[in-house]
Amino acid sequence: MTGAGEARAGGVGSRRPAGVRVGVFLGLAFRNVRRNARRSLLTASAMTLGLAVLMWTRAISDGAHEAWVTGAVRIGTGHVALEAPGFRESGSLADRLAAPQLDAAAAVLRSPDVAPLVRAVAPRLAVGGLASSAAAAVPVRIEGVDPAAEAAFNTLAGHVVAGRFLAPDDRLAAYVGVDLARRLQLRIGDRMVVTAQTAGGEITGQLARVVGTFKSGLPEVDQGLVYVPIATARNWLGVPGAATAVAVLLYSSRDASRVARALRVRLPAGIAALSWERADPALASAVRIDDWSGYAFLLILGIIVALAIVNAVLMSVLTRNREFGVLQALGLTRRETGTVVFTEGLMLTTASGALGTAIGYGVTWLLWRHGLDLSVFMKGDISFAGALVSPVMVPEFRAVQVLLCLAATLVIGAAASFYPARQATRIDVAEAMKFDR
Amino acid sequence: MVWWRIAWRNLWRNRRRTLITASALAVGFFGAVLMVALDDGISAELLDNGTGVLTGQVQLHARGWMPERSLYATIDGDAGIDVGALLARLRAVPGVAAAAPRVWAGGLLSAGHQTEGAVLMGADMSLEPGVSRILGTLVAGRAPRAGARELAIGSELARKLRVAAGAEVVVVAPAADGSTGNDVYRVSGVFRTGLDQLDGSYAVAPLGALQSLLALAPGRVHEVAVRLPDPWAAPAVARAIAAALTDAGHAAAGGPLDVTVEPWASFNPEVAEYLQLITASNGLVVGIVFLFAIFGVANTSLMGAYERRREFAVVRALGVGPAGVARTVVYEGLALGVLALAAGIAVTAPVLVAWHHTPLNLGWLIGNLELAGALVRPVLRVQYSLHGPVMGATGLLVTAVLAALYPAVRAARVPPADALAGR
Amino acid sequence: MVGPVGTARRARPRAAAGAVLLAAVLAAARPAPAQTAREIVDRVDRMLRGASSRADVVMEIATEHWTRSLEMRVWSLGTAYALIRVVAPPREAGSATLKAGDEVWNYLPRVDRTIKVPPSLMMGSWMGSHFTNDDLVKESRVIDDYDIAIGFEGERQGVAVWEFVLTPKPTAAVVWGRVVQQVRKADLMPTWARYYDERGTLIRTMTFGDYRRFGSRLVPAVMTVRPEDKPDESTTVRYRDLEFDVRLSPAFFSLRSLQERR
Repeated sequence: MTGAGEARAGGVGSRRPAGVRVGVFLGLAFRNVRRNARRSLLTASAMTLGLAVLMWTRAISDGAHEAWVTGAVRIGTGHVALEAPGFRESGSLADRLAAPQLDAAAAVLRSPDVAPLVRAVAPRLAVGGLASSAAAAVPVRIEGVDPAAEAAFNTLAGHVVAGRFLAPDDRLAAYVGVDLARRLQLRIGDRMVVTAQTAGGEITGQLARVVGTFKSGLPEVDQGLVYVPIATARNWLGVPGAATAVAVLLYSSRDASRVARALRVRLPAGIAALSWERADPALASAVRIDDWSGYAFLLILGIIVALAIVNAVLMSVLTRNREFGVLQALGLTRRETGTVVFTEGLMLTTASGALGTAIGYGVTWLLWRHGLDLSVFMKGDISFAGALVSPVMVPEFRAVQVLLCLAATLVIGAAASFYPARQATRIDVAEAMKFDR
Repeated sequence: MVWWRIAWRNLWRNRRRTLITASALAVGFFGAVLMVALDDGISAELLDNGTGVLTGQVQLHARGWMPERSLYATIDGDAGIDVGALLARLRAVPGVAAAAPRVWAGGLLSAGHQTEGAVLMGADMSLEPGVSRILGTLVAGRAPRAGARELAIGSELARKLRVAAGAEVVVVAPAADGSTGNDVYRVSGVFRTGLDQLDGSYAVAPLGALQSLLALAPGRVHEVAVRLPDPWAAPAVARAIAAALTDAGHAAAGGPLDVTVEPWASFNPEVAEYLQLITASNGLVVGIVFLFAIFGVANTSLMGAYERRREFAVVRALGVGPAGVARTVVYEGLALGVLALAAGIAVTAPVLVAWHHTPLNLGWLIGNLELAGALVRPVLRVQYSLHGPVMGATGLLVTAVLAALYPAVRAARVPPADALAGR
Repeated sequence: MVGPVGTARRARPRAAAGAVLLAAVLAAARPAPAQTAREIVDRVDRMLRGASSRADVVMEIATEHWTRSLEMRVWSLGTAYALIRVVAPPREAGSATLKAGDEVWNYLPRVDRTIKVPPSLMMGSWMGSHFTNDDLVKESRVIDDYDIAIGFEGERQGVAVWEFVLTPKPTAAVVWGRVVQQVRKADLMPTWARYYDERGTLIRTMTFGDYRRFGSRLVPAVMTVRPEDKPDESTTVRYRDLEFDVRLSPAFFSLRSLQERR
């Protein structure tokens, strides 16, 4: 009796340093987990599957968002747009960037902390005017572009229906939408004249031959956009070396604000740098809505997984009454019993959660790193917030999401282990010892 | 019957486990139903904005009017039609809530030194609000008065022209007799739909006034827009309308009207595509939720089956065959499912009702959004529909039963003697 | 020949008229070399333009949906200035178009307002006719935009004519693939001009007739444009009166003149 009482009063941990105590708990927890292999495995599998799916969902979701943003900015003015301050409001040739300003911008874009983030830079000279052929005349927007830069930049360069996109040595070439070509009755090689007001105020025509047609699916684009080489446009409009905008495409849309800020600081006055979030707030909203609804969805799933784990851990506690009874008789306090159970649960869920995250990451990378093809659901590209979205979703792997998964693991594990641990502290030792189980 | 009682009693013998498992299933149900309801809300919003702002859910045009939208291509030719009779005829078709005639022209609006191209829409001021919402989005002034030379213009257009409500603008458009129609109109109001194209170039005038400007007789209209309370019925109603118009000589000339009748999916295919995407993703969402649920529940059931070996052994020893044992377990699963469903409904229904009446406004988080050419406002609303709860309930019950199958098989295979002996 | 009604271009000095006449006489005697062909086409192009001119014109337009007849008074000065005022029918009398430099203005008498028309809104046809805005505002010369060759020389229907084939120069900002003109040898009057797209499809035909003297100049008093794809449609311009070298100054081409109803 004395021994038992002494042990009871002292407790396993009361006269030992904290570090050792933790070590004992961990050891106990680990051994318990291992001893009930089947049970542990079943519990673990719930967690593993859950986290694997979570990781997959985040990767695909991030990839989809990146695709939306990239799709939109590649048709528009890039992740960051450099323009004369009044241009966005006026849309007029008078608000253009002159050659020295473009050089200054190019220099800033080449600086060592910005350059690695930049994927492509495309200067553009845009005016509103008229496109005419022998058959008809249609009001259009004419964009003078650098063929090489634009090919890397603009998705429309790849949506060729007939002919080809502009080539670097083209001069009198035009790349037009299919609907415009139809209205003007133009075939590849046919001549058309674009007319607009030059910088000097004159209304002048410029010959261009159709070298290719594109289809975006967006009617205002297919009917109202004409691409010509920027050299030709500069010559025609009397603005050598100028541009109305410089579009900058980055590798990741998340760098946009940072790059825009850096540019704003370093560029001379007279050049405004706009990030896509400011230029296209609707798109930014769309991404945010989808992110949040994704998190809501995952919260639901997390709760389900947590409940499954609570059950599992609880069951393991309830069937080990006798075992805990013996341990408590040997001196383990109630609180320590609870701690052991909590540690078991946490250990199990953390390990399986980490495993699940790794599996999720690995499987997503292995099977779908080139993209998840959803074209069975969508015919062709879909227009979304002014962008063209391809039905192939390429996942994006971000450290933030891995951390999120691991954090979720800890939270779910802790939450799920808490109740069973509390139950474990309520075991009546004497009652437990009574029965054979 | 006995099996049910036994199953039910077994459930309650392990109250805590039952409750936790049922909660997991109920949460799954809640999540699935709510997500589907939200998606339905977005779909409804999309559809409503895509068709309810301007176009209506079904449209009638003269056969040659698209794609050039020629001024001369009025319904049934130069002679015009009895518009009132046509509208009455349309309203008689079941599924049609309202119909309104429109005249369309391209022209110029000029104020001071500013001249902008504009899309001019002539509408019946009393009938139009029944079909479209554009005049309901006024941010300044009021709708034009019938017969007056007044215009409601888009907010972007007003900005470009530097005019506000009350200002005068000159409206110029080529008329149907070859002359240049021109007149001074007053801007009665400015609307903001949130859609760039409408706000930037559209101007709405009373039908009669615009017809005068364009030298069109009162019976000449380009389009009739129809509103249906149920947008999803559009294809069927369009067919019904086409049938109603082709019989019993409706036109002035005595023959059937040669018009095209199109449902919204024809003239707004992007919205239709996006809605399909949403429907597909609904299925995926419910699938994933219940996949998780299955796993969680199967997990627990399996563990339970193992823990209850002795119990099953005793039951077997008492003469129940393996099938009977298996059946018990499956019935337990089903009973659990029903219980969970009840709990799920009890939790989900009030939330759904509350949300439906007070949609969540996420304006603080996001702004308006243009999707497939339609506007989605940051107000999350949920739609009542049957298919969400039905999908959820089916998923739940199927999950509960499936999760019980393997444990049932395991339970049936427990060797009674060995189990009783403790091996 | 791409300049109708009222678009004045730089005038040939009177003194040169004799030289041209001489050239024409010589031309009648022997085949016209390419250079002279160029001169002839140039002369035809600028036939209706004096340093300044004033004309009374009737334009009849027939389309699929309506026919119209407009009486107009046209003033022009060089290539930069033109004022066209509608005189009849009464419903449209007083409406006017002013081209001053690169700006185009429209006056609408019914509402007593003037609007400025930006280039991107000047779509397609001018006043509903089959002439395009391009025809109206274009300032360049035919011989600058086209290479000229002789396609045919000889007699057609008892009249000695040249047929000139105009092919656009490589960078010329014109929509036509080819323009073919027939010109009478005797008096260098154009009889017709056909406009083709690059695939050789005839798009429109201009015919000239009723050759009359106004002042000292012989001009076709009637010009008709007919689109090929709509053979029932046409626009016909008839000169009732035409006066060259009228005393006009740039100041005349003002918004105030635009708004006067005379």
